[in-house]
Amino acid sequence: MHAALGSTMDKLLTRRALQVGAAVLTLAALAACSSSGGAPTTVNQSSGGTAQVQTYTGPPAQNADIQAFQVNLWQNIIPANRCGGCHHQGGQSPMFARSDDVNLAYQAALPLVNLTNPSQSTLVLKVGGGHNCWVADPSACALTMTTWIQNWIGQGSSSTTTVQLIAPPVQTAGGGKQFPADPTVGNPSYQSTVYPLLTRFCSGCHNPASASPQQPYFADPNNIDAAYIAAQPKIDLAQPDQSRFYVRLATEFHHCWPTASSNGAPDCPGSSAAMLAAITAFANGIPVTPIDPSLVVSNALSLTQGTIASSGSRFEGSLIAKYMFETGQGSTAYDTSGVSPEADLTLNGNVTWVGGWGLAFAKGSSAQASTSSSVKLANMIQESGEYSIEVWAAPADVAQTNAWILSYSGSNTTRNVTLGQAADQYEGFTRSSVTDTNGMPPLVTTTTNGAAQAALQHIVLTYDPVNGQKIWVNGVFTGDVDPSKGGSFANWDSSFALVLGNETSGQRQWQGVIKMVAIYNTALNQTQIQQNFAAGVGQKYFMLFGVSSLTGVNQSYIEFTASQYDNYSYLFAQPKFISLDPNATVPANLNLAAIRIGVNGQLAPSGQAFSTVSTTLGGSNYTAANGQLLSPLGTVVPVQLGAANDLFFLSFDQLGSSSHTFVDPPGTPTSPTPNNTPVPDFGVATFERVNNAFSRITGVPITDAVVQPMYMSAQQAMPATPLISAFISSQQTAISSLANAYCGELMANASWRDAFFGSGLDASLSASSSGFFGASGSANRAIVINALSNNAVGANVAPQAAAAVQSEVDALITRVPQINAAATVTQTTVAACTATLASAVVTLQ
Amino acid sequence: MKDMTTGTGLRRAPHAARAAAALLLLALTAAPAHAGPNEQAKRIYERIAGVPPSAAVLQQMSTAISSQPGQPGLMAAAAIATSAPSFYNVTLKNFAMPWTNRNATVFAPLNDYVATVIGMVRDNVPFNTALSADILYTSNAPGLPAPSPANNNHYATAETNGVDLMATLVQGTQSGVYGTPTAATAGLITTRGAASAFFVNGTNRAMFRFTMINQFCNDMPTLMDITRPADRIRQDVARSPGGDSRIFLNNCVGCHSGMDPMAQAFAYYNFDATAGQMVYTPGQVQPKYLINATNFPFGFVTPDDSWSNRWRSGANTVLGWSASLPGSGNGAKSLGTEWESSATFAQCQVTKVFQAVCFRAPVSSADLATVASITSSFTSGGYNLKQVFQLSAAACPGQ
Repeated sequence: MHAALGSTMDKLLTRRALQVGAAVLTLAALAACSSSGGAPTTVNQSSGGTAQVQTYTGPPAQNADIQAFQVNLWQNIIPANRCGGCHHQGGQSPMFARSDDVNLAYQAALPLVNLTNPSQSTLVLKVGGGHNCWVADPSACALTMTTWIQNWIGQGSSSTTTVQLIAPPVQTAGGGKQFPADPTVGNPSYQSTVYPLLTRFCSGCHNPASASPQQPYFADPNNIDAAYIAAQPKIDLAQPDQSRFYVRLATEFHHCWPTASSNGAPDCPGSSAAMLAAITAFANGIPVTPIDPSLVVSNALSLTQGTIASSGSRFEGSLIAKYMFETGQGSTAYDTSGVSPEADLTLNGNVTWVGGWGLAFAKGSSAQASTSSSVKLANMIQESGEYSIEVWAAPADVAQTNAWILSYSGSNTTRNVTLGQAADQYEGFTRSSVTDTNGMPPLVTTTTNGAAQAALQHIVLTYDPVNGQKIWVNGVFTGDVDPSKGGSFANWDSSFALVLGNETSGQRQWQGVIKMVAIYNTALNQTQIQQNFAAGVGQKYFMLFGVSSLTGVNQSYIEFTASQYDNYSYLFAQPKFISLDPNATVPANLNLAAIRIGVNGQLAPSGQAFSTVSTTLGGSNYTAANGQLLSPLGTVVPVQLGAANDLFFLSFDQLGSSSHTFVDPPGTPTSPTPNNTPVPDFGVATFERVNNAFSRITGVPITDAVVQPMYMSAQQAMPATPLISAFISSQQTAISSLANAYCGELMANASWRDAFFGSGLDASLSASSSGFFGASGSANRAIVINALSNNAVGANVAPQAAAAVQSEVDALITRVPQINAAATVTQTTVAACTATLASAVVTLQ
Repeated sequence: MKDMTTGTGLRRAPHAARAAAALLLLALTAAPAHAGPNEQAKRIYERIAGVPPSAAVLQQMSTAISSQPGQPGLMAAAAIATSAPSFYNVTLKNFAMPWTNRNATVFAPLNDYVATVIGMVRDNVPFNTALSADILYTSNAPGLPAPSPANNNHYATAETNGVDLMATLVQGTQSGVYGTPTAATAGLITTRGAASAFFVNGTNRAMFRFTMINQFCNDMPTLMDITRPADRIRQDVARSPGGDSRIFLNNCVGCHSGMDPMAQAFAYYNFDATAGQMVYTPGQVQPKYLINATNFPFGFVTPDDSWSNRWRSGANTVLGWSASLPGSGNGAKSLGTEWESSATFAQCQVTKVFQAVCFRAPVSSADLATVASITSSFTSGGYNLKQVFQLSAAACPGQ
């Protein structure tokens, strides 16, 4: 055994021995119970699906740890298409994948694993670097290998790991290089350097017109602009030899092409050299964007130059499928659970990869596994009678309905399980013995808690026979009770397929971003869900911005926790001041004011959340182990050239004795542009003005028992704005109705009537209108005409309007008997009054 | 509608309507080319008081116009109009009512917000205290329910009863009538009317936005500035809405970076819809400020009601902040002072009055100059809003 691992291994062996002992007891108990016909729930061994264990005829494992190695790692790596193809007995050394003796394989494998940080094991780094990865994406192999090793040495082994911060390379925060906007411009241009190689040698796949198109389409020969945008993340202008286009050929041997000297055989050194030369020529032709020399700046570094932060430990004890979406390109999203068969997802339609790991689903998209690989879900979940589906997702909006985030189903109407979104609600459909074959009735979160939001959320759908389905959002149970709990999965259909972002029919489109999916065959409990929520999603880095020259403190840095947040931004959070020299001393009165994040030589224009930081470094706030937290906040910084290219730096208003006065962009007073188009000089009286005007003219109070209800019912039908252009006929009708009410009341009350008309009408209210008013010009007509004109228009005001009123009222008095020969004086007067009040002489102001 | 003495009221209405429409057209086409003192007096009165003048008042105003040529005469006439009860009961009520609800509707019951605006205008209370003073107007008309922090019955009944607000409004204080701590009062902001509309539910950002709309004459799109520090944007604002952080960096941050630091002043306020009254919890941040914290865990967690005006730098310096104020503080009262002391607040009041009186937005060169001139008078003359009505009416008396 490796000496350095002795202590840890002793503990592991002890733990394994206990686990095996417990397993024996469990088996004994199960055997004892079997005759009773019970259906005990067992936890699946995550890699128990492989067949090799049954054919192994060598010496048995000598101890519990070797047995764990055998079950969790060895039987997964011995197939000939994996490590066993070379590292078998008598084959290439080390022979850790020998199939003749698991004990010898164990001894050979021990030096190749890192027990404190499995992701840094030699086995992982090898396959992650492209060494005989058994799928197209080395990162998927690395994740799978890490899972197998973690399963071997025990869950959560990385959770207690202390990250060792590593000093980044010293880079001056000079200006950066920016991709020219036009691919045809430059000396030399992209069009004349890199593009010809891509279109010639890569367009067989990375071309939307290809028979087997694979994103990104950087080799599209028919659309250089789109191809140029897709190619930028693969080109490192600052360090051409770090460009993915070059690395892919030089060290990962990905589709190298024949060169003149290779006699038709693929020539990776030759083709990678040609690519490097093209990228270098292109990069050399791009001038550096200068940085403002007056800024007080830190050293610079890119995201990937940061120290990788181990995420918090996740609970994955009963994992049966897992998607991290780390691949970032191509048309396959790999199942890295390590549980065979891998249910890899084929990307269909408008699915795009998201920076910082994830898939974006737009209209007409899905990611679907084959039915043959999906069958493991049915088998393992039916066996346990429980499941959990864990998703990190950001819905595009909270309006979409009938939108399936994840579904294991056969059609629109038949399913085993579906997690969907219905506006701001999440819904779970699970087929069981107490639902129909469509999982109806579903569990739907209440509308009141607004579970779904258009933000990245951690959503977990669990099922156990007692509680049925439960939905957890961001670690919190929504509290919604499943209407159909207590079922079994005996009627699950194993011919269904796992699909993300849609139904297998393509008719239940969900739009948004999925950043991780994990499926378990147990119902995770609250602690486990909250543990996984706290662990977060995506790769995080500790970015150390050197400030030693400004602070005078040896190896001092401003540290940010950073990650790629989505396709368009990075997350920078929780800046700290820290020195990697444990003996460094921080001088007194070392002041820091305003941190601004810069990208490629320029300060980010928006989202600066640390520009208000103002503090004194050192003192009791600083410890050598943890540094000094400067802000608990985070912010997003826009992506410019991609994670490989964007070079960040920090700018300070003050750090130590260096200072810079930041000047905000000034506000520019903008005078409104005059619009001298003539507009109407008058307007319509609004509803309450109309009401009060009628009251003022007639003397009938607004609280009158007839008028007030009429006003209340008609007020919203009258004008709300004086705009003459907004006046419509229905408003005129409402005004007329109110006028009619006022006039009716005016005539009904002798006091008001006499005050308005005088007493000349009093004796003849019920008399015939035609008889009383007589012909035009009569004295009785003048009673009404003059009263209306004087009260509504006013004496000596607008004589033209007064004349118009008098003429119209006179004509109306003439017309009334023609319409109704029996009309009375009151009726005719009310009509005349209504016509006058509701006319423009009153309502036009 | 019941038969009004004759039983023919309904049958007559269509005829009346047609006649009225005919008269309307007639009057439109026959409008006088040049308005004399009587016409000017009638227009000024109608625009200010909302109703036609009586013959006596018309004569009084006409005489005032005739005896003093130019603006002095018009101002004298306008002063007569602003003494009409309907200026307060109709014009001012409808002027202020849209500020008190989210739909900006005038069809809402009278409330304490509107009554306080009316009272402040009647009593010439400097309007640059409107967002900070401990002030409240109630009516002393008989038969009204007592003013209550838990309902609007006092004001609604006053309106239903046709109470003359000019005659019966009495100045008091929110602390005295409602029991709101004096330090928690902030003029119109902390009236029950405003609280019920803008402190209810949500995150209290509504109070910020609607005050901007109603008292700054600017909605958020015209105020957004993406260059402001993002440090006070709360956790509930998604930094990658729908998975696209460009939306945040180009839009959301533009408003929230200025709004969230100022709306923090309202951190202790809420409107309890069940109890029907405003809640103030000094020292205790309302839960609404901390909701949806997982949308962006690295966002700002509100610890208290301290506020900061980030718009004193950047593009929104043009709003004209007072140089004599610090631009930060605690609570709604000091934020209200910050707002009401700005040049834009004053300009907005004048613009609103001009539009209400002249029936047109001040967009022509002449009208813009008029508004600038009135604004200058407003700020130098003790923020007398009644005078702004008079000046505006005198500015558009008809030709």
